[in-house]
Amino acid sequence: MENNIPIQKKLDENMKTIKEIFIDCDDVVYREFKVGVKQNFSLAIIFIDGLIDQDMVSDFALRPLLEASRYLEPNPITIKDNLYNLIKDGNISASEIKEVETIDEALEAILVGETALLIDGYKKIIILSSRGWEKRSIEEPQTETLIRGPRDGFTENLKTNTVLIRRRIKDPSLKIKMIQVGKRTRTDVAVLYVDDIVNEDLLNEVKKRLEDIEVDSVLDSAILEELIEDNYISPFPQTENTERPDSVSASLLEGRIALIVDNTPFVLILPATLGTLMQSSEDYYTRWTIASIARIIRYIAGFVAVLAPGLYIAITAFHPGLLPTRLAFYLASTRINVPFPAVVEAFSMELTIEFLREAGTRLSGPIGTTIGIVGGLIIGQAAVEAGIVSPLMIIIVAVTTVASFTLPSYEFAAGLRFYRFVIMICASLLGLYGIMLGLIFMGTHLVKLNSYGIPFTTPFSGIGMATGDLKDIIVRLPIIRLKYRPDFTFPKDKKRNK
Amino acid sequence: MEKNNRVSNRQLQALIITTSIGVGILSLPSSVADIMGNTGWLAILLGGLAILPFIYIMNKLGEMYRGKIFYDYGKEVVGNIIFKIFSSIYLIYFLVLLAFIVRVFGEVIKAFLLDNTPLEVIIFTMLLATSYIGRSNIEAISRMALIILPIIIIITIVFILFSIPTLDFTNLLPVFQINIKDIPRGMSTVFFSYVGFEIILIALAYIEDSENALKCSFNGIFYTTIIYLVTFLITIGQLGIHELKKQIWPSLSIMSEVELPGFFIENIDGMLMAAWVLIVFATMGPAIYTGGVILSSLFDTKKHDFFVLPMIPIIMGLSLIPESLSQVYSTMGNIVKYLAVFSIVIAPTIIFIVALFKERKSL
Repeated sequence: MENNIPIQKKLDENMKTIKEIFIDCDDVVYREFKVGVKQNFSLAIIFIDGLIDQDMVSDFALRPLLEASRYLEPNPITIKDNLYNLIKDGNISASEIKEVETIDEALEAILVGETALLIDGYKKIIILSSRGWEKRSIEEPQTETLIRGPRDGFTENLKTNTVLIRRRIKDPSLKIKMIQVGKRTRTDVAVLYVDDIVNEDLLNEVKKRLEDIEVDSVLDSAILEELIEDNYISPFPQTENTERPDSVSASLLEGRIALIVDNTPFVLILPATLGTLMQSSEDYYTRWTIASIARIIRYIAGFVAVLAPGLYIAITAFHPGLLPTRLAFYLASTRINVPFPAVVEAFSMELTIEFLREAGTRLSGPIGTTIGIVGGLIIGQAAVEAGIVSPLMIIIVAVTTVASFTLPSYEFAAGLRFYRFVIMICASLLGLYGIMLGLIFMGTHLVKLNSYGIPFTTPFSGIGMATGDLKDIIVRLPIIRLKYRPDFTFPKDKKRNK
Repeated sequence: MEKNNRVSNRQLQALIITTSIGVGILSLPSSVADIMGNTGWLAILLGGLAILPFIYIMNKLGEMYRGKIFYDYGKEVVGNIIFKIFSSIYLIYFLVLLAFIVRVFGEVIKAFLLDNTPLEVIIFTMLLATSYIGRSNIEAISRMALIILPIIIIITIVFILFSIPTLDFTNLLPVFQINIKDIPRGMSTVFFSYVGFEIILIALAYIEDSENALKCSFNGIFYTTIIYLVTFLITIGQLGIHELKKQIWPSLSIMSEVELPGFFIENIDGMLMAAWVLIVFATMGPAIYTGGVILSSLFDTKKHDFFVLPMIPIIMGLSLIPESLSQVYSTMGNIVKYLAVFSIVIAPTIIFIVALFKERKSL
């Protein structure tokens, strides 16, 4: 469809071209009809069944044309050349119409759910905005539930999603720019930003990356994320995603940029840093002391999620002397019947947990719960009783898994999970020194990583450290104290409140 | 986002501290005490002061050739061929320095953490881990410095806290009972513990706020001196001068004696050793990076990263030459000292003087 097919004067010829292109597309509906007192003007409408609002088309386009114009006795001379304008300006009462001059544009419009109106004798096609398809209503997000806070979540419909943001930020400087990506899917992507806060360079960089995308399909925001992020090989995400409009709004007001992709409830927020990935929107809805404690716990959980099994391996296999004597003896006594070295023990239990998690995500609802109980309780208990693993190992694996679920970003936790295995391997080869090597490796990877030109380790490694970004990173100070927007986005308007 | 690809002043300060403190901190108290007795703290203070003129020279050079690294503007100042000789000596210096550090590191790890692991494995894995950051850029290295700095501070605080109960400062008495002739020798030993900060020859080219760079560099040396002083005072207060002279790594032997009954971890030395790995890494990373940069300036290539991996076997070979730990400290240590004098004192001073003359002439 690369070549531009011009529109012919004859209706029949146009219909033929369109039908040829849409051959075997049985969901396309063609309706040819005649209007006028003498039934001498041929018209046709084309749309895709199910993608349009049928009532709208019949109420605002077909009825006025077919019924209203029948009783009028128009002056034949005025009609002669002017039928097109008469219909466009006088007959159609749909609120949003436009006209196109090539067949391709018309096809594109039909495919997104608009209705094409063809009139015999004219080289233009009228497009009626008639999009309307089945959509899910606004529900509570499944992945990020809060105890306190708004209960609405994004849906698959882009328009609904932009409205959810617009309702929260009633400011003309909230901009919503639409672009299309994907040669075949032609997915709509909305770029949201607050004009007088966002940094121009960041915005241009994001726009440039979006324009440079050359792929067939973008079916979800995750695919878009992978196409535009700095390092697609890294196990860590460089973009945040959320189902919560409140969290998107807050990010926009920090000078960040949101990308809403059509057909998915997951909205991308960028840039993302180590600090922002550990924030949860609930932190701002609970009292600051509790929120701060929750944050600190999350950071501890992050370390536990990476290090705990590795430390177990290193200490039992290499440095039992590090533990207090009684604990060391106790540990040895629990492992006395275990026939495997600590490495095998740890890896087999971690593998079991991974199986359980994978099974749990495939099977949702009651079966998932059953799997959890069967796996967690029965396998663990049986493994200890059979003397295959030591009870401490079960505790460590369980604590590690629970800890990794406390992190607000699932993707970030998954990245840490990857490094947990790296560190386990290092620990089994070189003990505590191996763990440090693993940490060095991970740390180097993190400091090298950028998110849209902003260092991923921000604000622990430079930007914003001096200007008070840390007030809202490891702790969450009272809102009144968070006078300035975080520095890492280089916002144009620094001051948040007086 | 060009603003990010810069080294901030805070990062510069952290870079100086983390690169200066490395394997030196383990042996410094005893080697200083060996020469200066219980007045070693004086040598540490004077040694810190002696670094400052060269920090000043490096900063001035950085200001004169803003946006360029030393290994590039050096060619402009003294001519391509002469400077290539300079660069080669710098390269040898960094190779030997790395070999020295990694050998001492390997010996310490072997002695305190992994007694059954071959030395070669420890040395090779450490070099491999450092080469990863050596292949990156100065921005990543300075971010790493800022992340490692708090670990150094925490270790120092832990070190102080656990030693306080058993400190005996009468070990410092009598004060000022020294031979004047020993002072230069003591100072040179201390001077040697600061090596590594030459990374600023590169970092200054990327500095964000060049006006305050000198102040921050001085601060960096100041904090390093304080950490060295604290280490010396605690080791001498804990062990006494005679015991201190006998130890190779007094700071570690103190830590292995600390016991924390009732805590989850009884022996803190293992944990401290683990953290110390990071400190050594923070010294070696910039050094191996600088080696790569020098090679790329010698061969006029745009990138430096492909020079880093081939350096590993050379460094490893060098590090395994000394047969014993005493040879490492005596022979290899002395070679590093002479090379350090060239690369910190002689070369920057020559380039600075020539650059000053050239500037006069052009006016």
